[in-house]
Amino acid sequence: MTLLSIEDLAVNAGALSLVDGVTLDVDPGEVMALVGESGSGKSLTALSVMGLLGEGLSVDRGCIELDGADLTQMNDEALRTLRGADMAMIFQEPVSSLNPLVPVGAQVAESLIVHGRAKPGEAMAQAIDMLRRVGIPDPARRATQLPTELSGGMCQRVMIAAALISKPRLLIADEPTTALDVTIQAQILDLMSVLTAEVGTAILLITHDMGVVAELADRVCVMYGGRVVEQGPVGDIFANPCHPYTRMLLRTLPRLDEKPKGELFAIPGNVPSPLDWPEGCRFRTRCDRSSNICSTRPPLEGGIHRTACFHPESVPS
Amino acid sequence: MTLLSIEDLKVHFPVRAGQFGGRKALVKAVDGVSLTINSNETLAVVGESGCGKSTTGNAVLGLAPSTGGKILFEGRDLSLLNAVERKHVWREMQVVFQDPVAALNPRRTIAQSIAEPLVIHGYAKSKVAARVDELMDLVGLNADQRDRRPGALSGGQRQRVVIARALGLNPKLVICDEPVSALDVSIQSQILNLLMRLQRELGLSYLFIAHDLSVVRHIADRVAVMYLGLVVEEGPTEQVFSQPIHPYTEALLSAIPLPDPALRGKRKRIILEGDLPSPLDPPKGCPFVTRCPIAEARCSSDRPQLVTAAPSHLTRCHVRAPENTE
Repeated sequence: MTLLSIEDLAVNAGALSLVDGVTLDVDPGEVMALVGESGSGKSLTALSVMGLLGEGLSVDRGCIELDGADLTQMNDEALRTLRGADMAMIFQEPVSSLNPLVPVGAQVAESLIVHGRAKPGEAMAQAIDMLRRVGIPDPARRATQLPTELSGGMCQRVMIAAALISKPRLLIADEPTTALDVTIQAQILDLMSVLTAEVGTAILLITHDMGVVAELADRVCVMYGGRVVEQGPVGDIFANPCHPYTRMLLRTLPRLDEKPKGELFAIPGNVPSPLDWPEGCRFRTRCDRSSNICSTRPPLEGGIHRTACFHPESVPS
Repeated sequence: MTLLSIEDLKVHFPVRAGQFGGRKALVKAVDGVSLTINSNETLAVVGESGCGKSTTGNAVLGLAPSTGGKILFEGRDLSLLNAVERKHVWREMQVVFQDPVAALNPRRTIAQSIAEPLVIHGYAKSKVAARVDELMDLVGLNADQRDRRPGALSGGQRQRVVIARALGLNPKLVICDEPVSALDVSIQSQILNLLMRLQRELGLSYLFIAHDLSVVRHIADRVAVMYLGLVVEEGPTEQVFSQPIHPYTEALLSAIPLPDPALRGKRKRIILEGDLPSPLDPPKGCPFVTRCPIAEARCSSDRPQLVTAAPSHLTRCHVRAPENTE
């Protein structure tokens, strides 16, 4: 049974379309990676799920179902009972996402208290236990400290502890390791996969790093220009990319484990801004396979591996 | 031929520490770094935040005060030059920073930004416009973008403007501080290819400061790995990547996730424990001792020296590369 199902989601800023018909689903306990470059709409998709779209942004159409209940139809109060309890989110910048004036232990305990799952004393004991489980040494003392007294990596552990303490069914992680150094990133990725597996939490992982995707994801959803261009199991996406954008994106990455062979493969052109997205397929102006038909919108077609392209590299298996 | 030679460079910043800022302390951002760059060569300096890689670059540019050691450019000690001579040397050294949005004045047109160093360094007025056109063509910008402002350009195009501006005075050395980190993945390789082509065509040398080792493997001839203000390993890129000697380099390489799900769980990964120590209170012996998986007793008391562990491959480690005590 599907945990999260997003159907034909569109997000607009006034008349400007930013997310245009995103369809994806997340099963219980799985890691679904949402991949794309800046402006692809991946973060807006995630914020729509949480009901946290900023001022001026609105869900224009589509539905977002968590366990069969449509989140887009809920009022703020109903969403508040879900946020922090059934679904939680961690952000890219751990230091700016934590309250600088509140000791980290209280911030981890907060969601238990707000949702009435524990009395303050009991919640604090659980928070300290959670801090220990995310690998913070001397958690009882650290719990009394402010975020500024902790390193960036430690703050990200605190955020993970705060997100996972109420054992949510869905964790949305928006670039959770992008602001961290690579040796700290390895620790955090390791921690996320161990802890979520224990509780059975599903992760919607938003990232631009294909290395992180390959390391953590079960399935991948590739976005470009506010739309899904390809979706499928992680092995298929990397071994048999169907959409020209996915194939070019994978080819353009310099590889750490390969000797350099002269020029890097480069995708021509620029990432277009939502103001100049072309008609039809939004990648067609940079694509080497485009033809006349590409000026109409390609549908997302296929089975477990699907792509939105009239001239796919290969037929989805 | 050696173009730039950094000898035992130290950059120490006094800071106020303690709860009320009452205690004076010294941050040793760079604590005795020696590096050389030959002409037409790319030296990459890599490491995590706080390791001193950017401060090293800034010290070469005169943007951070060096508190010890020497920086020689074409054999001339930069600290001994007078103002006129220094201005002359600065023409030969230019910089490309990480964030092209911050590096460009939003109110100036592209042509004005590219022309600025030419004007400052007394380029003949009648020739400036032609030189700007030439530079824009060199970095792959269309002539019709001359009068645009940075806001109308994409991130990749802005970085091309920054590169064009850096090349106007025919520098010999370009310090590239994370030049592609702020760019989208699909744009990064365009800019890397551009930097490599410019090096071939103009015989440039790069001091390439980066944290993305995949990029470094592709672009650098030699690589220096820094940790807490010290170089812990230095050598030809292929050697350092295929046979790292220092345990930090080894951990750094193994921590990078590879874009290949088939390798998941099959690679040997070293996950370091803990965080970087505070630069206010670095370990007494080896800087890496607090996180090192193979540390021995002497590592916490004696600082290891940078020694030659393999041909032109230096490392600073008591265990892997013991010094000759005889």
